[in-house]
Amino acid sequence: MQAGVGQLTKTRVFVSGIGIISPLGNGLTETKNAIKSGLSGIKPLSLFPVPNAPLPAGEVSFALPGDVPRTHALALVAANEALRNLHMLPDAIVLGSTTGGMPLTETLIKEKNFNPELYKYHGTGSVAEYVAEKINFKGIVLTVSTACSSGALAIKLALEMLRTGAAKSVLAGGADALCRLTYHGFNSLQLIDPKGAHPFDIERKGMSVAEGAAMLLLSAGNDPPQGALAEIIGAGLSCDAYHPASPHPEGKGAAEAMRAALADAGILSEDIDYINLHGTGTIDNDLSEAKAVRAVFGQKMPHHSSTKGAFGHSLAASGAIESAVSVISIIEGIVPANIGCSVPDPALGLEPEKMVKRNTKVKAVLSNSFGFGGNNAVLVIGRANGQIRKAVSRERKPFVVIAKACLTGAGDLRGTFEALKQTGNCAGKVDIERAAEILPKNRIRRLKRLPKMVLNLAEQAVKAGGDQKPSAIYFGTGWGALSETYDFLDKLFESGEQFPSPTDFIGSVHNAPAGQAAIWYGAEGANVTATGGDYSFEQALVCASLLSREKDAPMMLISADEHHDILSGVLDRSVKSAEPSDGGAAFLLKCPGADAGLKIFPSFFGFMQNSTEIIELLVNTLGGSERICRSFGAIFAGIPACERSIGNDQLAELQSLLPEKMPVIDYRAFTGEFASASAVACAIALECVESGRVPAFGRAPEIGLDGKGILMLGLGRFATAVEIISS
Amino acid sequence: MNDFISQLKKKIIKTLDLEDIKPEDIGEDDRLIGGDLGLDSIDALELVMMIESDYGVKIDNKELGEKVFSSIKALAQYITKCRPELAS
Repeated sequence: MQAGVGQLTKTRVFVSGIGIISPLGNGLTETKNAIKSGLSGIKPLSLFPVPNAPLPAGEVSFALPGDVPRTHALALVAANEALRNLHMLPDAIVLGSTTGGMPLTETLIKEKNFNPELYKYHGTGSVAEYVAEKINFKGIVLTVSTACSSGALAIKLALEMLRTGAAKSVLAGGADALCRLTYHGFNSLQLIDPKGAHPFDIERKGMSVAEGAAMLLLSAGNDPPQGALAEIIGAGLSCDAYHPASPHPEGKGAAEAMRAALADAGILSEDIDYINLHGTGTIDNDLSEAKAVRAVFGQKMPHHSSTKGAFGHSLAASGAIESAVSVISIIEGIVPANIGCSVPDPALGLEPEKMVKRNTKVKAVLSNSFGFGGNNAVLVIGRANGQIRKAVSRERKPFVVIAKACLTGAGDLRGTFEALKQTGNCAGKVDIERAAEILPKNRIRRLKRLPKMVLNLAEQAVKAGGDQKPSAIYFGTGWGALSETYDFLDKLFESGEQFPSPTDFIGSVHNAPAGQAAIWYGAEGANVTATGGDYSFEQALVCASLLSREKDAPMMLISADEHHDILSGVLDRSVKSAEPSDGGAAFLLKCPGADAGLKIFPSFFGFMQNSTEIIELLVNTLGGSERICRSFGAIFAGIPACERSIGNDQLAELQSLLPEKMPVIDYRAFTGEFASASAVACAIALECVESGRVPAFGRAPEIGLDGKGILMLGLGRFATAVEIISS
Repeated sequence: MNDFISQLKKKIIKTLDLEDIKPEDIGEDDRLIGGDLGLDSIDALELVMMIESDYGVKIDNKELGEKVFSSIKALAQYITKCRPELAS
């Protein structure tokens, strides 16, 4: 990612390609025809055997290539279609996914097959990386996992990437596949309608889980490019900060996200011609959303419908699929039917379109997506040749660090520093019982290792920041809540797929810890969880830099990963022979960096498929080798064990480009191997820059920084640069 | 019935990992969900699984759940109504 600082070219953002695969068909044309004919893709599940009568679900019929999980295959189908008419590849891929490789992982766990080779596609981040490899893409790759708002969040992030000039074109969307985890998980929450989803109907009882993928090719420009299908006019994010799995009963967060999206688009609610509702069909979602929509639109309600009675709920894919539906609505002049709603529930005060409405002028659509953790994302999409929107520009600036905290095998930041000075090592597992001591017992009763770590880190950072509460939460995690995930599947299979734990299901989503932190602090702003393996911390920081605004109150950046005795060694190829280690760090940050003080900025983020070529680009993006030597007194290099060979080559390449060799701290040697090690290293580096030196860690010599900063590099499959400076 | 209620109390404490609560802390008529015990709808769903798994009794909708989880007594009565042999 280019620095983005000072690049203030105003731009609009257009949809120039769409790829979609869903229970309604493969491709935009099939989807369009199915919507126009008012078809539904929901039928009893047949993908895998279930102990009782199969519940209705939205399955995709397609030929699954043998070597990857369904999620990956679905994402690639959508990506290929979106890029069909493009002669050049985009600069970035932003993808939302919650299931990742789970369709395969759960089968392996069921068979008790723990061969690590078979789990290489487990991580949610591996979906976008697989797409990148298959299309021979070299550029920015970001993965977000905020449950059912992931797909819409990915499009919001792409929008900001284009507005900040960090990219000129972005492939963005979402993908999720049906799997036992989500099918049985939602069933354990009593959220599946045995008759199939019929959103907003008086008889509705729940949703239908589904699968699919949609990818939008977005491009920046002042005028619509040839063949442009629509314009992304604006998008808004919010968090309910209310409950891990239920929406706010009055739809407070949902209404906030809709208002934020309209404000971002610079239009009024009466400019919207159609609302594509989230409308899952659950009793609580539909009630809460109805209240929110009425609060925003009042008496002047535009046409509205939920398309989940036709598509089912494809979780992370749904926001992207519904943005494609919104584009179809605009270009075809139709309002899709709210399939399944025969008698609208009078308690909701809505009148969803029961039949497809044709020959309708649709200039602007508002599309809602809400998810677990109270995560809300709303998109506003308009005609490609509409003049509703003026071009905008945004700037990414360094964050001022208000407070920092970390957790390692040696304890908190102070303990970690002491251990480093004494022994040169802080690896090991976090003492979770001790970490939990600062948290109220009644509030963490149901929480396992990762959310406890996250809340401890957040609480430490808030305390260190003089009790300033964050307004938004950015969370990075390589593997998510492994304890909850494993326990859910273990109990599911132990009980013959009958009695899984609803608590573990809710806790298993990657964004659950960030949702907990939001509830804890009433953080109603953006709530973003990035899951890019060993580079998740950097991805979360990039997301924060794209979304944070000058007027915003401080926000919290947290990154953490837990060690799980069974799963860590299987999933994380760096863990194998290393001492079991885990931990993370939290930072209370303020945007922008106008004030003097300690600052942090993600200046480079790239994905280059194991190459050293990327280093030259990294150096140039950072302002050249002279500037690097002038600004930084040391390099903190993060090279995961499984990327060691390429990482060493990249580091050597960097040193060869610099006028003089810089001292390098190879921090995984002392933090241990875990995905969020870079967050811990960042907390340590901040402390070092603040004190003006890197103390002697163990037998290593002390390094004086001479008033300079520290350059944090992530190397290997990705190359990232985070600047830590004091000014 | 009293024996069954005490058995049920122990199971609830174990299922929900209620470290600080003893069986005698759960009054027979106290509100089970949303009361002083600090239990909520997620705990209720967890108990639904335990009750179906251990007693073969289904509580598969919100309205029924609200009724049977109103107190430990109501819950015990519902389970024993479905499975009378458990009361003896």
